[in-house]
Amino acid sequence: MAEFYTTYGFLITSMVLAAAMALSLYLPLMAGQLSLASPGFYAIGGYIAAVLSTQVFHPGPGPYPLYLVLIEMLVAALVSAALAVLVGVPALRLRGIYLALATIAFVEILRILSLNLPILGGAVGIFGIPQPFNTQGEYIWLGLPLLLIAMVFIYRLERTRMGRAFYAIREDETAADAMGINPTATKVIAFTMGAVLAGVVGVIAAHFLNTWNARQGTFDSSINYLAYVLIGGSWTVFGPVVGGLLLTALPEILRGLASFRFILFGILIAVGAIFFPQGIITPELLSRFRRGRQPGRPASGGQQASQTHGPAK
Amino acid sequence: MKRPVIVLVALSLFIAAALSACGGAPAPTASSVQQAAPTVAAAVQQAAPTVAAVAPTVAAAAKAAAAPTTAAAPTAVAASGAAPKALSGDPIKIGVAVAQTSNTALLGQEQVIGAQIAEEFFNQRGGINGRPIKLVLQDTAGDEAGAINAFQQLINNDKVVGIIGPTLSQQAFAADPIADKAGVPVIGPSNTAKGIPQIGDYVSRVSAPVAVVAPNAVKAAIKDNPGVKNVAVAYAQNDAFSKSETGTFQQTVTDTLKLNLATVQTFQTTDTDFTTQVTNILNAKPDLVIISGLAADGGNLVKQLRELGYKGPIVGGNGLNTANIFPVCKDKCDGIYIAQAYSPELSTPMNDAFKAAFKAKQQGKDPGQFPAQVFAGVQVFVEALTALDKAGKLQTTDLAKLRSDLNKQALSGKYDTPLGPISFTPEGEVNQEQYYVAQIKMNSDGQTGKFVYVK
Amino acid sequence: MTLINVWQNILNGLAVGSVYAIFAVGYTLIFSILRIINFAHGAVFTVSAYFTYLLTGSAINTNGTLHKLFTDGFGAPALPIKLPFVIALLVGGLLAGLVGMLLDRIAFRPLRQRGADPLLTLVSSLGVAVAMVNLIQYFFGAEIYSYPANPFGNIPAAVNFGTADTPVPVRTIQVIIFFVAIVIVIFLTWLINSTKLGKALRAVSEDAVTASLLGINTDRIIMFTFFLSAFLGGISGTLVGVSVGVAGPYFGITYGLKGLAVIVLGGLGDIPGAIIGGIVLGLAEAFVPPQFVAFKEAVAFLILFLVLVIRPQGILGRAAVVKV
Repeated sequence: MAEFYTTYGFLITSMVLAAAMALSLYLPLMAGQLSLASPGFYAIGGYIAAVLSTQVFHPGPGPYPLYLVLIEMLVAALVSAALAVLVGVPALRLRGIYLALATIAFVEILRILSLNLPILGGAVGIFGIPQPFNTQGEYIWLGLPLLLIAMVFIYRLERTRMGRAFYAIREDETAADAMGINPTATKVIAFTMGAVLAGVVGVIAAHFLNTWNARQGTFDSSINYLAYVLIGGSWTVFGPVVGGLLLTALPEILRGLASFRFILFGILIAVGAIFFPQGIITPELLSRFRRGRQPGRPASGGQQASQTHGPAK
Repeated sequence: MKRPVIVLVALSLFIAAALSACGGAPAPTASSVQQAAPTVAAAVQQAAPTVAAVAPTVAAAAKAAAAPTTAAAPTAVAASGAAPKALSGDPIKIGVAVAQTSNTALLGQEQVIGAQIAEEFFNQRGGINGRPIKLVLQDTAGDEAGAINAFQQLINNDKVVGIIGPTLSQQAFAADPIADKAGVPVIGPSNTAKGIPQIGDYVSRVSAPVAVVAPNAVKAAIKDNPGVKNVAVAYAQNDAFSKSETGTFQQTVTDTLKLNLATVQTFQTTDTDFTTQVTNILNAKPDLVIISGLAADGGNLVKQLRELGYKGPIVGGNGLNTANIFPVCKDKCDGIYIAQAYSPELSTPMNDAFKAAFKAKQQGKDPGQFPAQVFAGVQVFVEALTALDKAGKLQTTDLAKLRSDLNKQALSGKYDTPLGPISFTPEGEVNQEQYYVAQIKMNSDGQTGKFVYVK
Repeated sequence: MTLINVWQNILNGLAVGSVYAIFAVGYTLIFSILRIINFAHGAVFTVSAYFTYLLTGSAINTNGTLHKLFTDGFGAPALPIKLPFVIALLVGGLLAGLVGMLLDRIAFRPLRQRGADPLLTLVSSLGVAVAMVNLIQYFFGAEIYSYPANPFGNIPAAVNFGTADTPVPVRTIQVIIFFVAIVIVIFLTWLINSTKLGKALRAVSEDAVTASLLGINTDRIIMFTFFLSAFLGGISGTLVGVSVGVAGPYFGITYGLKGLAVIVLGGLGDIPGAIIGGIVLGLAEAFVPPQFVAFKEAVAFLILFLVLVIRPQGILGRAAVVKV
């Protein structure tokens, strides 16, 4: 087991970070907003960690202190939140694909700016980022708590007034407005929460990858995160997490196929979308799972549930 | 609802099958020996047709270069057409982690060819004093995480003695620290950015940093065109290599040669249209244009410069030192000065042997810099392992010790590679004795051409 | 900036913009009929360029598996046919059209039949695109391909739109691409507005269910849309390949992002809008001052962002609220 983790600790931690990124996309989506801005905030978080840890903090020899990583996270969260409000207020007037495109434009603008700011090291980026841990697998001690906190937070959020306002907007913005929900404020809040999460993940990722550059957090990763959410399931907090974990592991599981592996990876994504049109984890699946766990309940109860809530036509 | 569940089950079964089939779990040593045996045989069989072509050259190489004494025997065996019995024992595994997929594969596929040729070549020459080498390939794709995943596989699963890779400098900054911490020697085959050998004790490279290669080409161009005053520079801003190289070029122009830097234009490696940059360059009326980029973008910039009327000399950086630019700029490639870390025209016994092996496998094409550098990386490991074996240090079962011995030995040796003679600084930086400047000469069909050595 | 610079920049903008437009026109056709985005359009664009290459009887490089297959089968690493370039271009387009129909069967129709979230087609078409690109890499290798020199005969490399003293050159192939893009848009506008087929297309676009109730074979119309989009994308892919070489399997994918920008700028699904959007983006890039060329892409996307915020329906788009 220990040997397994030595080999795959990096992969498992990347899966966890990917799941957290999928959640950062899911947060605005809870309020019906298809924002692909997460990679931009991820990139910002990474650069903040890279600059602070290599150029500002000088903790001396020995492993890099964890409290400094936490400070970096705090800075990244604040910067991401401020920028999210700044971008979100104008951008969130847009809907659907228009919002998606505006956020992609935002990500691309950030990428070009980061290539041209001398402090960020141009195309080479920033390298030699100090390490709080001995091996990459140990980053699970940062990644997993973050993912769990985010999951619990979102799970609880879904059951608060704010969470219900998110869903109301997702279902029908005009009706939500009529019910006294302030759509703009609510959407900006959802967008900002996603941005903060992405920024914090970026901080961990920069240390985790040893280096940071403008190739991190681009249009391509936007699309990947979207695939995580949609394949995993966009109606519960577990969907994006499962999607992120699974789709990050898949290319590595297929590693033995060498140059074939991405052919199969692409096919599996397409097949996944077709066979799981509601995503792998649907609210029905969860409720069936819960009922199945209750003692004394026959399995038929679950079947009934699936019949009544089957995939929407 | 039923169907998705079935698919999910099928999917997980498939994944499980894939995992076990590709040896997801570390294989015990005994079985890996058995597994390895047929592979080596297959490799040698594959090599059979090439043997005839290579043999005479190798023989010459062996004599002239005073290669290790073992070289003569296998050469004789190879020439007589007999099969692999010269090699025996547990193969020594060397890892190669390059980009076999993603859009970096343009470089990575060339590197794979260099590795395959090296494996056959050194096994034909007797491996490590009779013990075969086995190159284990792991795909890094084009990203940082992919490079780390490939390194982890090589270090922990495949248990290689050393690694050649990854393809890009940015990937090296991510993955090399991991190998360094694990005490596994890494040779960068194409990482040219500043700071790579300084990552750690176990990190070195055979790819010369740009600062030493670039200025030669400018000087050659100025020598042929003494009237040059205004210089325009263009570079790919999202490519680590081009970004460092252009710094050197610009410094050479302004500080060393005291010329006027008329304009600096940037582009992206993914760009295909350079109309804006070309217009800006033409408006600056330069007598010389210097380009740092990669094959597709650099080639298109050259083509569009020429088509829109630029007539003066062009200097291309090391990223343009690949036959891949020929199909892009075609007849317009003619005359470009290129800074080279490897020249196929270098005539040493080693390079002649490498060239012959490459041509036999690649339809008579000349090898480029990427395969040559990977080949040189393999050669460093093979010769260092041979020296360790002579000192009796190869018979250990302590992989960690073997890796650290290999690292020390590799850095202390001198190697007569296809790149010319090389050695390393204690830090792991390559000392390459010769650099080259070539001028592209296109054939009349406008599709093929060659790099003609200038100085 | 002198007048001659302005003129040159306008022409440069048109030249660059027409490449964006010609990529986007097939993209926008799918959107105008089906209200979905086909991420695999870039891969279709690429694959057609390779088809044309094969049909001209040119040789496959050693890194692709086709090299060995062809050498074993035909004695040379190329197809044993040698079509003239223009014929190969058209046949390559037709083959790409078939790929488009196949794409519909694999990635879109199953989702349509299940009534899935239209967003999901982004993912299924992305999956197909990844598979296609990697298949191309497997068969052709990652090397750069280009067509035989002077595919359109011996025409000059550039056309001078200035005087002999102050030349304002534009590459001839760019001029060709510009006119082909215009012709495609005129053809599509005619097809959609003035033919019976176009009426059926519009009916499906308005409401697929009602259209099928009215006796229109919706499925066949949609398949035809995919064929047409891929055929036009295919021809465009080859033309752009002539202009800049076929730079490996990711050749078409790199236009995907700009293509998306263009169809939104032009008003989603508006076919003449693809030309307008392309040219607006091209002009924006061309007019970035030389000292800021490093920020060229950022400027283009900033304009996109601002246009979206100020005029969400695009430049030509109608003010109708699009619900997605």
